[in-house]
Amino acid sequence: MPASRQEKMTKKERIDALLKGQPIDHVPFYPFVLGFCARNVGYPLSVIYSDPARSWEAQLWTHEEYGFDWGPIYGYASYGTWEFGGEVKMPQSAYEQAPTHITFPVQTEEGVYRLELPDVKKAGCLPLAMEFSRLQEKQGTPITLIFGGNFTIAGNICPVEKLCRWMIRKPELAHHILQLATDHIVDAVKYWADTYGGEQVIAQIWEPLASNDIISPKQFETFVLPYMQESGNKILGMGVKHIFYHICGEQNLNLPYWTQMPMGDLGICSIGSQIEIATAIKHLGTKAIIAGNIEPNILQTGPPQQVYRLCKEIIEAGKKAPRGFMLMSGCETPPETPPYNVYMMRKAIEDFGWYD
Amino acid sequence: MLALPEPERIFINRIERGRILMASEERTQELIKGLYDAVVAMDEEQAAELSQVALREGVDAYYAVMNGLAAGMDKVGQLYAEQEYFVPELLLCSDALYAGLGILKPHIKAEEAHIKGQIVIGVAEGDVHDIGKNMVKIMFEAAGWTVHDLGKDVKLERFAEEQQRTKADVVAISALMTSSMLAIPQAIKMIRERDPKVAILAGGAPLTRDIATSYGADGYARNAGDVVQEAVKVLSRLKGN
Repeated sequence: MPASRQEKMTKKERIDALLKGQPIDHVPFYPFVLGFCARNVGYPLSVIYSDPARSWEAQLWTHEEYGFDWGPIYGYASYGTWEFGGEVKMPQSAYEQAPTHITFPVQTEEGVYRLELPDVKKAGCLPLAMEFSRLQEKQGTPITLIFGGNFTIAGNICPVEKLCRWMIRKPELAHHILQLATDHIVDAVKYWADTYGGEQVIAQIWEPLASNDIISPKQFETFVLPYMQESGNKILGMGVKHIFYHICGEQNLNLPYWTQMPMGDLGICSIGSQIEIATAIKHLGTKAIIAGNIEPNILQTGPPQQVYRLCKEIIEAGKKAPRGFMLMSGCETPPETPPYNVYMMRKAIEDFGWYD
Repeated sequence: MLALPEPERIFINRIERGRILMASEERTQELIKGLYDAVVAMDEEQAAELSQVALREGVDAYYAVMNGLAAGMDKVGQLYAEQEYFVPELLLCSDALYAGLGILKPHIKAEEAHIKGQIVIGVAEGDVHDIGKNMVKIMFEAAGWTVHDLGKDVKLERFAEEQQRTKADVVAISALMTSSMLAIPQAIKMIRERDPKVAILAGGAPLTRDIATSYGADGYARNAGDVVQEAVKVLSRLKGN
């Protein structure tokens, strides 16, 4: 970072210290940038998800350019469809951002009980994710394994409308799918922990479908909390030190439950723009690093001055987090974001992100 | 507010084998309330059963739909907007609505079926997230609109083509992703080129009213609970009422 002030830490030192709860020189910049990196280096957007080597390159080069602190990551929100036997398609058109489901593994009630746990060494995107993690290990960046959350995986195994109906009419079906999703998460993290050592792995869990745009806090308590607690406890039991939860979308009513999630010491909780930074700190700030929450839409369409002002406000609020804070977009930075707006995020850290 | 049919229709409804079937006002209101409650309570079986009873006892089918089932769904929309109900409840309420509609609709006389309007609806190209669009569709159908549903990941020109084919009053386009929302202004431009006067609504998680307006839309609704009212408001404004 060509800052007005001299950095006192390398990126790796900064992230290592942040995760240990130690002082750092400035707010780190977390790269929730995937398709943007492909656009930035002139690659087809699909390579981010289908070609680990080129995905790595595109992200690494973009990270160098914009000064992101965390390393490249591999993952997408429709995780679970492909892994459990459905079909996804890679983003192709100008308006697509990430892989999307074409067919779901389960369409009928009978299909629920025919579901089997996938072989984590072969299923869906996991071989690609493993190849990507080898690059993370080789380059010494955090080995980050990204999933949909338990409920999001369930809603990618069967259409989410079906899952919603079953939650009320046939809860045993919903619970069966959620248990499989939970077991799958545990299996996959175990594979990573066996390969790299648990303490080297950071499990990152994106949970958009459990937002209050879809389910109630009561339903969250019944259908999300126990499963995420189970997988979280088992993941930490493998020696994993940090679980990173992306609390995606409108989840203000769920926050009391998020505080009950196992997340290690320290956990990391990123939030969307729907949750105020101060609110996240109040609920989660004592046990987790808070990350967030620049509105992606403002990144995509806002003038640079607006992005810069928003980043300033968020950095100033985030610096009050007792266990640390990272600046990031509230959800994936849209691929069509003007590059200068991403630079505005970095410049705001440079101007306002220093810890004195 | 739902329009009530003329009072005489309430009581003299069907003629079978030369016999006029009638339900007393009290009984009619009891059945109407039952239909309303069945929808709000997500009781599909009760909605179907009471619809059969209403027909058997001579309650006007259109009256039963509008003041029982649709009014119930109107209440559900309100509960959804107030975060009393969420998507699972709304879906089950709509199942109850459709169970009743399936029975009552074939008995609505053509001259009674006051179609409120026609709407073309779909999710923008590049986006397969259609749960919000489906909620909106339910609310329009419940309110007596004819809905032409284009589905999800809809090629941009399809919105204009379908509006031309159906002469729909309103076109509604949604997107969940920040990438696919960029398709909305393109689709709006294509629609306007063919029919500058059609009312256009835009919605979905990443949109705000300001963004929808900047894309050229006439209206926006934060959620499905508000959308029918917004469409009516926009149409009224465009017609200068």
